[in-house]
Amino acid sequence: MIKIKDLQHHFKIGKKGNERHVPVLKGVTLEVGKGEIVAILGKSGSGKSTLLHILAGFMSPETGSVVVNGQETAALKESQQASFRLENFGFIFQNFQLMPGLSAFENVELPLKIKGMAEAERKMKVQKLLEKVGLEEVAGHYPNELSGGQQQRVSIARALITDAPIILADEPTGSLDSETEKEILLLIQSLNKKLGLTFVIITHDEEVAAVADRQYRLHDGELVKGEQRHAV
Amino acid sequence: MQFKDQIDFIRQHMKRNKLRVATTILAATMGCAFLIVLASVGFGLHQTITDDVLDNNMVTQIEVAGKTDGETEIAPADIPDAELQQIKEMEHVIAVVERNQPEAETQIVIGDRSTYSQVVLSSMEEEQKAGFALSEGKMPTKAEEVIVGYHMAERLRTEAEMEKEANGEEVGGFAGSLIGQTVELELTPFAAEGEEKAETSTWEFVVTGIAKEPAKDWMTDVTFYADSSWGPIFNEELGLEEGYKNILVYADELQNVGGITDALKEEGYYVYSVTEELGTMNVFFTALKAGLIFVGTIAVLIASIGIFNTMTMAVTERTREIGVMKAIGAQPKLIRKLFLMESAAIGLIGTALAVAISYGISILANWLVPIIVLSSLGEEDAGGISIVISTIPWQLVVIASAISIGVAMVSGWRPARKATQIDIIQALRQEM
Repeated sequence: MIKIKDLQHHFKIGKKGNERHVPVLKGVTLEVGKGEIVAILGKSGSGKSTLLHILAGFMSPETGSVVVNGQETAALKESQQASFRLENFGFIFQNFQLMPGLSAFENVELPLKIKGMAEAERKMKVQKLLEKVGLEEVAGHYPNELSGGQQQRVSIARALITDAPIILADEPTGSLDSETEKEILLLIQSLNKKLGLTFVIITHDEEVAAVADRQYRLHDGELVKGEQRHAV
Repeated sequence: MQFKDQIDFIRQHMKRNKLRVATTILAATMGCAFLIVLASVGFGLHQTITDDVLDNNMVTQIEVAGKTDGETEIAPADIPDAELQQIKEMEHVIAVVERNQPEAETQIVIGDRSTYSQVVLSSMEEEQKAGFALSEGKMPTKAEEVIVGYHMAERLRTEAEMEKEANGEEVGGFAGSLIGQTVELELTPFAAEGEEKAETSTWEFVVTGIAKEPAKDWMTDVTFYADSSWGPIFNEELGLEEGYKNILVYADELQNVGGITDALKEEGYYVYSVTEELGTMNVFFTALKAGLIFVGTIAVLIASIGIFNTMTMAVTERTREIGVMKAIGAQPKLIRKLFLMESAAIGLIGTALAVAISYGISILANWLVPIIVLSSLGEEDAGGISIVISTIPWQLVVIASAISIGVAMVSGWRPARKATQIDIIQALRQEM
């Protein structure tokens, strides 16, 4: 489903003309199969977010390739990448990234609006999904009227609404307390089992990584295979 | 994204920044209203002058003042009938009227009342085709029947009344209608200085129609319109030469006057029509209107700075939201379209308000300005001229709307482009 091969990237640091090149990814190779949960562990600055951004097509790698569902993502133009993301990826962000001016319902509805789905069809779909993630009672609430856990559920619902097969989660529980974190992780596991969704989770938290089928650790730009859930 | 959803999207954003959007719309409204009102003065004055010209002329009338074959000049009276027949057969020509005026002193008498007049001899059939306008009665069908000018009745006075009038007193003239009345036409050939006055000849006619009132209050019409068959009779009886001849060609519609005028010119005729006068005026007023629209556009451009600022701030404030939208799959062209639509909406609302306000100002100006002008001149009316200060034709609304909405969209283009170039990663890092 996802094939990352020999991915290399570096950042430029310093003033123009006196720049230093700091390598972030040094030949990362990774394969993720359909229905897997894969966790990328790493400390702050280890390059795990850069890996996710390249995988999502937010930035292009300097060398190496990312193939998602048979498509080399770097070969796509900006507009094609947007369409590709809409069809293939759902995103869960650490700080939820909800639209403050839209209600929970409207936030979940937004990707379908972008997709151009007819109003009646998308309203029904959003309603069903909100019931599934336990948000039907707060559907009309705005993000600032929701708890952190509820906001992340809205964010997860927004990631699921387009039926994208791959969910990319960047520190999905980073802004949540431990109790809510458990709820969210259970929800991710349940969605993985029930819907067969593929999850790539970027985290610094070992407990979060523990829900994954496979764990990898990014250290000094190199990906090292970690523990497997079944072996834990 | 469906169009309805795009509209909902920008409406939500505009609602979130009500005050800023409202002030920007206000600026756009003021700029566009200034443009419309300023240009409407050019359109209004053009209409006033055009109406005045059209009031003084039969708009479909083309006067033939003679002809030239390149070497010799031919007076209207000498233009052969065959050539006039050719004019009659031209496309869009409905009538060719030849009007003669006998060179004789003319007096109209009814009982003990009389007035000086001028006789116009013409084919009543052609006059009817040309649309001779009557205020009362009908066109003559017999040679003994005539039409008289609108003011004929009031100018018919007794000798006593004439004396009173000479003393500055007001007198009434003929009471009642002249329709059906028998009047006497007295013609006396003009005598050269030192010559004895010639004998007066008299004919009787029945009045069947009264000509339409002249367009201007100061005009007095006491013309005596008789059939052209009387020309040779008068000339023989009074020993007159062929009098002054006036040839008038009538077009079916105003829009065809220009074409007929040009065709006659090509044939060597000296012609004058209302299009000649309007043509020169139109050039002047078109230049004036274009100048006023240009000056008004400057106001719209100033207002556009407000739209640019508002849209730039909107993009800056919504950087994170734009980043999220791009991240979840929104195309850059959709982002650009949403911002362009928002700036166009500001322009559109501003223009709609401006058009409504401009019509209000225009009505007010047309009511108020003539009152101020006339009162400052100490006059009660403008001598029959209806003063139109401001007119807003639909063409002006279209031009002003196109300029205003176009400028609004151009102002929003750069911010919209900036929005599409927002880096997703940087945008997602922004705090809420």
